[in-house]
Amino acid sequence: MEIIQIIGIGFIVTLLILIIKQQRPEIAVQLSLALATIIFLMVLGKINVVLNLFRDMAAKANISAMYLNTILKIIGIAYVTEFGAQVCRDAGEGAVAGKIEFAGKVLVMVMAIPIIALVLDTIVRLIP
Amino acid sequence: MGLDILFKIAGVGILVSVFHTALKQAGKEDMAHLCTLAGFTIVLLWVVQLLGKLFNTVQDVFKLF
Repeated sequence: MEIIQIIGIGFIVTLLILIIKQQRPEIAVQLSLALATIIFLMVLGKINVVLNLFRDMAAKANISAMYLNTILKIIGIAYVTEFGAQVCRDAGEGAVAGKIEFAGKVLVMVMAIPIIALVLDTIVRLIP
Repeated sequence: MGLDILFKIAGVGILVSVFHTALKQAGKEDMAHLCTLAGFTIVLLWVVQLLGKLFNTVQDVFKLF
C-alpha cells in the first residue's frame, strides 16, 4: 500500500509548505519540487517493471525494437516535460511553463519523424 | 527512501525565517539577506542532487538518448 504512504507525505508536505510560504516562498517552491521528485522516483520503479514486460512482449511478437523504443522515448519526454512545467506553474511562472511545454512538443515531434517518414513511404509504395 | 530530505528542507526554511526576523529586529539587514541566501543555496544544493538522480533514473527507464 504505497499509495497511503504517498498521500501521507503529500499532506505533511502541504502543511509544511503552508507554514513556510508566508515567510520564505522560494524555499516553499523548493520543498514542493523535492516532494515531486521523491514521488516520481517512487513511481518510476513500478513503471520500469511494466516497461520491461512490454519489451519482453514486443520481442516475442517480433515487433521491431525501434518502434517500441520511440514510443517509450516519447512517453519519457512527456512525463519529464509535464513534471517541469507543473513545477514552474506552481511557482507562478506560467510563461516559463509554456516554454517548457513548447520545447517538449517539438522534441516529441522530432522523435516521431522516422515513424512518420516510414508510414508515408509505405503509403507511397501502395499507390501505383 | 529520501524522505528525511523533505523535513531537512522544511527545517532549513523555518530556521532561516526565524534568523531573518531576529537579524532584522537587531538592525542587521545585510546579514539577514546573507542568511536567507545561504539557506536558499544549501536547499538548492540538495534539490539539484535529487533532480540529477531523478533525471538519470528517467533516462535509464525510458532509454532516452
